[in-house]
Amino acid sequence: MIEPFTVPFLGRALAELALLALVCGPVSVFVFVRRLSFVSDALTHTVFPGVVIGFLAGGVEGIVAGALVAGVVTAVVLTLLTRGGALSDDASTAVVLTAMFSVGVVLVSRRSSYTADLTSFLFGRILTVTPRQLAETAVLAAVILGLLLLGARALIFRAFDPAGAAAAGYRIAGLDLWLNLVVALVVVAAVRAVGTILVVALLIVPAAAARMLTVRLTVMAALGTGLILLAGYGGLLASWTASVEHGISLTSASAVVLLLVLAYLLLLPLGALRRRRRRPAPARRGSPHELVG
Amino acid sequence: MGDAALRYAGVSLGYHGTPVLTDVELTLAGGQRLALVGPNGAGKSTLIKSVLGLVPVLGGTATVLGGAPAGARHRTGYVPQTGSLDADFPVTAAQVVMMGRYRRIGWWRPTRAVDRRAVREALDRVGLADRAGTHFGILSGGQRQRVLLARALAAEPELLLLDEPFNGVDAVSQEAVVRVLRELGAAGTALVLSTHDLTVARELADQVCLLNGRQWAIGPPAAALTGDILRRAYGGHAVDVGDGRTVLVEP
Repeated sequence: MIEPFTVPFLGRALAELALLALVCGPVSVFVFVRRLSFVSDALTHTVFPGVVIGFLAGGVEGIVAGALVAGVVTAVVLTLLTRGGALSDDASTAVVLTAMFSVGVVLVSRRSSYTADLTSFLFGRILTVTPRQLAETAVLAAVILGLLLLGARALIFRAFDPAGAAAAGYRIAGLDLWLNLVVALVVVAAVRAVGTILVVALLIVPAAAARMLTVRLTVMAALGTGLILLAGYGGLLASWTASVEHGISLTSASAVVLLLVLAYLLLLPLGALRRRRRRPAPARRGSPHELVG
Repeated sequence: MGDAALRYAGVSLGYHGTPVLTDVELTLAGGQRLALVGPNGAGKSTLIKSVLGLVPVLGGTATVLGGAPAGARHRTGYVPQTGSLDADFPVTAAQVVMMGRYRRIGWWRPTRAVDRRAVREALDRVGLADRAGTHFGILSGGQRQRVLLARALAAEPELLLLDEPFNGVDAVSQEAVVRVLRELGAAGTALVLSTHDLTVARELADQVCLLNGRQWAIGPPAAALTGDILRRAYGGHAVDVGDGRTVLVEP
């Protein structure tokens, strides 16, 4: 069960996924409590043209820079679009998402190796991760965790009670930009390994699955990380076994994501059980008439 | 003599330059309790938000704890309506109360014993010491309201604002909240609470501010809540039922 990972490229793939698990567990908790799934999805798509431009300008090594610029720009634009509390403008987010994604597709379609390039940008190349890429991911992971730790209290307060957080003196737009930037950095960190499409699974599924087991935010984050680690290990092992021993081609990143989703599905009944055990809140008292002396 | 907790002189409030509440004229001393009364949409929440500096002052001068409203946020506590919060949010009662300490704790510092003690004491004061580890969402509406009050207490504010604290609250919780509010007043904390329950306003407040688009009356409950003034402020929704009593019928 461990032997395949002694092959260097598979070992590096697992290390890369472990780094991503470390950040995606906690970050997915914030995405979950802020209900930012759609914004995360938008970010993964808007980073795509940055990836393409970065690749055209500087080859594989240019991808992170391109993704970084596109990610930061999108984080700012989405924060401006969704100012004033909950996501108020789904339509404009969707417009930004599709417009940027189209730009990416147009750019990549000008290349002769169109299909191969598109596939690798969308679904990543986990098995070709280089030591240098690993180091870059490690640096990004450290930055992301630092930002998250520093902002954690304020971000949780804002997610739970935006009016209360504003009343306490927190700048809501600033906190929203903060979290959007963190999510953008995760997309940047993950884009080469798992691609722009599959990274959204790492941002949404872990916390959603962990929520079935606990109401503790820190436990949710730890469980989320554990789930990605398990799915990462299992997915890589499955794709290795399938292709080496059975001659079946199974994309590694897709196998990882499929296992993650499978874990979510397996945990669903537990979540339903927890909810049923919960005591229902008593009905609200509402009185249309008030008596005055 | 120290500064008044609140001093509003000819204040109008609104959004995007359009006033929604005008002619606000009030002074609140430390330890005093002010009830904001009026029908839905009267401007009660707008007035509370203006104290926090979250609604622009279009005219007049508003002073909170001796300075500009936004500058007093760290000395002001705010209790929102429980209904505005997500009951499914994965957070315990104690964690909610700890949020009241966040501004004191700052960004870097871990929580200290003094913070945890403040949280325990605040929960104890609202009678929920045994529910510290309970998921906020499975508490009753009244218990949630008490947790939010405890959160404000944990911040040790000089001025406390409560938005409809008795909406959807059971009798036990209402009693607990009223008791804490009286204690706070006695300890010198100034209170502003909005309510459409005139009985509560009469029993709890030193001053009542009657609002409906503008300020209709201010003063002790007996003077500000007469049938005559209520009928003028509420229009057809205030109905005399004899014996000098007036019934308000919400539209």
